[in-house]
Amino acid sequence: MKKKSLSTIYLTIVFLILYAPIFYLMYYSFNSGGKMYEFESFSLEWYKDLFQNTRLLIIVLNTIIIALLSSAISTILGTIGAVGIWHLKKRQTKNVLLSLNNILIVSPDVIIGASFLIMFTIVGIKLGFSSVLLSHIAFSVPIVVIMVLPKLQEMSSTLIDAAKDLGASNFNVLTKVILPYITPGIFAGFFMALTYSLDDFAVTFFVTGNGFSTLSVEIYSMARQGVSLTINALSTILFLFTILLVIGYYFISKRNGRIIGLGARK
Amino acid sequence: MTEQPIIRFENVTKQYDDDPPILDNVSFEMEKGKFYTLLGPSGCGKTTILRLISGLIEATSGKIYFKDKLINHVPANKRQVNTVFQDYALFPHLNVYENVAFGLRIRKMKNDEIDKKVREALRFVNLVGFENREIKEMSGGQRQRVAIARAIVNEPEVLLLDEPLSALDLKLRTEMQYELRELQQRLGITFVFVTHDQEEALAMSDEIFVINEGKIQQKGTPRDIYDEPINRFVANFIGESNIIKGKMIRDFLVEFDGKQFECVDQGFSPNEPVEVVIRPEDLEITTPDRGKLNVKVDTVLFRGVHYELCSYDENGNEWIIHSTKKAEIGAEIGLYFEPEAIHVMRFGETEEEFDARLESYDSYGDKDAD
Ligand SMILES: Nc1ncnc2c1ncn2[C@@H]1O[C@H](COP(=O)(O)OP(=O)(O)OP(=O)(O)O)[C@@H](O)[C@H]1O
Ligand SMILES: [Mg+2]
Repeated sequence: MKKKSLSTIYLTIVFLILYAPIFYLMYYSFNSGGKMYEFESFSLEWYKDLFQNTRLLIIVLNTIIIALLSSAISTILGTIGAVGIWHLKKRQTKNVLLSLNNILIVSPDVIIGASFLIMFTIVGIKLGFSSVLLSHIAFSVPIVVIMVLPKLQEMSSTLIDAAKDLGASNFNVLTKVILPYITPGIFAGFFMALTYSLDDFAVTFFVTGNGFSTLSVEIYSMARQGVSLTINALSTILFLFTILLVIGYYFISKRNGRIIGLGARK
Repeated sequence: MTEQPIIRFENVTKQYDDDPPILDNVSFEMEKGKFYTLLGPSGCGKTTILRLISGLIEATSGKIYFKDKLINHVPANKRQVNTVFQDYALFPHLNVYENVAFGLRIRKMKNDEIDKKVREALRFVNLVGFENREIKEMSGGQRQRVAIARAIVNEPEVLLLDEPLSALDLKLRTEMQYELRELQQRLGITFVFVTHDQEEALAMSDEIFVINEGKIQQKGTPRDIYDEPINRFVANFIGESNIIKGKMIRDFLVEFDGKQFECVDQGFSPNEPVEVVIRPEDLEITTPDRGKLNVKVDTVLFRGVHYELCSYDENGNEWIIHSTKKAEIGAEIGLYFEPEAIHVMRFGETEEEFDARLESYDSYGDKDAD
């Protein structure tokens, strides 16, 4: 009994520390005083400011478009890649490709960003929407691969034998057995890619040119110019949006969980 | 042999890399409409034979015919063969109905026709009313029946079943044995059934192929294989046996355990060393003075239907006896057996030689009758 309350206290403290800054920030987004201390009175004026700031709204829109587009494209590419890696016969090639994939995930964003900047300048791609989109796709693909591959590996190979035995061509096997089976992994990959794209700062910072920006880069530059509580308001909205995403993901994985559970039990 | 065989293997060998072959020069024929069982210990190559028939793997050498058509390089999805897999391999993302409909949908059949066939197949396996169930909501026995329905709905000419009963409990298993046998007779198609359970094989098959280490040891009806096993492996694998070294004095007279016994075997050279098989249920317990052999009882086990006695003769040979009579441990008892109970096996005899020898004294018997 005592042990249990101790662990509860510990967890509470940890989560308080983790969430305190965010709640602090959210709290002052309602401060009419315009400062991050001395709460004067409740007001929504910063939110009003935010929605009147068309430049900022366009940036929000850009960010969302980039996130959706890049995660959709990288989900397609990553799924194809995962199926390809899984299909390889040779153990060694498989391991080499997987390692290359994982290196991209763990290598620092700054290096990836800088190398993209160099590449885009050499190739002559104008910095802006397309350069940001391309780089987001590039760092999302390995994430999708790593989310989809376990589903493929857990799938019993006799499922494919059974499909062929029932007359399915290779294409049928892919569309009627493999893809439906790994759908939960594909969704997970898509959501991961979406969140990575939404909050990426380092890579984006390198490859946004003039005139194009995403939220994280914009907030960074706004913060450097001096504190405005519009940032707090924006962050609050973003935070709530993220929570919505997480809840959405929870429900999707719960619905697919039946399939996941069955596959795992085999 | 009026009808052409539906499946024929000609010297088929399967080998992975440079490992020793998994199937070694296997030849056999299967006729239409019969129930065949591949019987053998784990890893002997049963599943490999099924996968060669269904086309999921290709033979390293040799020829495989389907109704006299060479099918070595015909891909699995183009063969009129369906399989019930060892782990059922049902699609977890589809419900019962869609699992059964899978093959028909691949063939782009019309919806109302699919519906008719799926319902009929489900009726065949007694699963009416389960159409909308998810696979994970089905019990082991029900899953197996879904797997069977999924296979037979395509109306294959040959149905391959890879140890489909191994996961079931004894009662359900016996029930399914009856059901399968009945199903085969109703459909009238060829079943190739894999098992490593000899009782199951004896109960269900028209013909049994006993396999060991990638070679077919013996083919024949359950009775043939049980009564006349070709070698020690088959004798031991099919039922329990007393196997003892002996010498064939001349036709119809065999010597073992220091005594000579009348028997019904022939076609051996004089004084040829042989192995003698007597089934435990063919040994009768009597008093020592009436027995052909005298043994001392070592252990007695109650097996339900009968007692299983383990005993030793004076030369130290072990004799297993199945009897409804009980005997005291340590008692001297006599064993009586008919000449027909003795089965003599030649060392290293191949199946062809064995068949030839049996045939030669069949004709001898015919002459006798004339
Ligand atoms: N892809 C493969 N590569 C190498 N060896 C294999 C492969 N598939 C099977 N084998 C080997 O072939 C042998 C026969 O396998 P098979 O699956 O036919 O056995 P089985 O008789 O069905 O056994 P069980 O009763 O355990 O299912 C085994 O020794 C197995 O290790
Ligand atoms: Mg097997």
